[in-house]
Amino acid sequence: MNLLRGKISSVMNINCCRRNLFSASSRLPAVPLPAKKEVHFWYILPDEVNSAYLLDQYLEILSPCEKENIFRMKGELLKKRALLARTLVRTTLARYQTNCQIDPKSLKFRKNSYGKPEVDWQYSDDWSLPPLHFNISHTSSLIACGVTVDSPIGIDVEDKQRRLKTNILAFARRYFTLHELEMLTGISDPETQQHEFIKLWTLKEAYVKALGKGFSASPFNTFTVRSRDYNKKGICHAPHLISEVPEIIIESSGDPNKPLGNWKFVLLELLGSHYAAICMEQDMICGGNGRVAINLSIRKTIPFVEDGCISETDVVVIGGLTTLLGSA
Amino acid sequence: MAAKSALQPLLKYLRVPVQPLSQNIFSISPHLFRRFSTEEVRGCFLDKSEVADRVISVVKNFEKVNPSKVNPNAHFQNDLGLDSLDSVEIVMALEEEFGFEIPDNEADKINSINLAVDFIASHPQAK
Repeated sequence: MNLLRGKISSVMNINCCRRNLFSASSRLPAVPLPAKKEVHFWYILPDEVNSAYLLDQYLEILSPCEKENIFRMKGELLKKRALLARTLVRTTLARYQTNCQIDPKSLKFRKNSYGKPEVDWQYSDDWSLPPLHFNISHTSSLIACGVTVDSPIGIDVEDKQRRLKTNILAFARRYFTLHELEMLTGISDPETQQHEFIKLWTLKEAYVKALGKGFSASPFNTFTVRSRDYNKKGICHAPHLISEVPEIIIESSGDPNKPLGNWKFVLLELLGSHYAAICMEQDMICGGNGRVAINLSIRKTIPFVEDGCISETDVVVIGGLTTLLGSA
Repeated sequence: MAAKSALQPLLKYLRVPVQPLSQNIFSISPHLFRRFSTEEVRGCFLDKSEVADRVISVVKNFEKVNPSKVNPNAHFQNDLGLDSLDSVEIVMALEEEFGFEIPDNEADKINSINLAVDFIASHPQAK
């Protein structure tokens, strides 16, 4: 099947006079831009991408600098993961064409003053693109890219079964807030405690990545992420005992009343195997009561091969006010 | 080792009022006086190659790491395939090994063996 597709595309390449137009962008189905308050979450499963031919195609759309970084890495799996991550970013953003097709190879990236990657729209070939924000996260078994319009975004994905080398409570004592440590300490079942730890880690990572200023600008022990109404009338309800999907909030650990800006969170369980956290800035206009849901569209992709919306059974929203959108 | 770590919090929180010279300067803790002596300070730094050996040993012990890939130039992310959570765990393991706390803003920058060695070897509190 792959061989056939390959033949078709090389014929197209030969016949076309504008190499850029047909080489990659025509194989990426166009999608409408995310609306405000909307997040598009794209993911790829590295284990499903094994065709050497396809991986070569992906290498073709990378910048010389990205290729160089990958060649310098040691180990085939590491290289493949890095390749798929860059491919995911480029092909995902290239889908959001407005008036003409974008060649994923033409996208240019830069880092903000703290090192967070962002699109350098000024030097891209297509200057009419809207201000898309993106953030990626990868584990060995899932690579994800979150996209928004006009709102900083941070995402983090972790394998549910990931085990810490250190003792969870020792880790939390060192890096988390007192409130979070207390929450984890209150969980007696080790497996549940481990899951809650991973969820907390992904949420905190997503926030720091959304802020875009690095770990050192917002040390993990300076802010608490928790479920709203966690402390109901002085009784501590552990998140795993709350039956409704709780809203997730963030507060300063020094002064719980000090607002940390307007951030919304979504926490998902994907494919029964991963936790994914998404953090984006809340629309100020909608008011500060935090009751506005994020509209979320989750799409699985193998770039140049297939895209599709995630099946309902493969995703569970476990935190944050969210509306799951169907396919576009 | 235990005595030293008991002393750590005390030294950290000891407050020395800034006083004019006419005050009795010998009332200031003798520990602080010694810390400012050049010979003392020089003697507090660990030997760099010893630090390197210990850092490499900590990283090799990390389950996720393939020991054969660990060399003094190894980058946590690009060479050893570690992510942010792994890096934090490694920093924590290094804190345990060398007996001092690495501040978060410094921990952020330690993403290779070389950087870890440089940082620890230049830190007088490392044991």
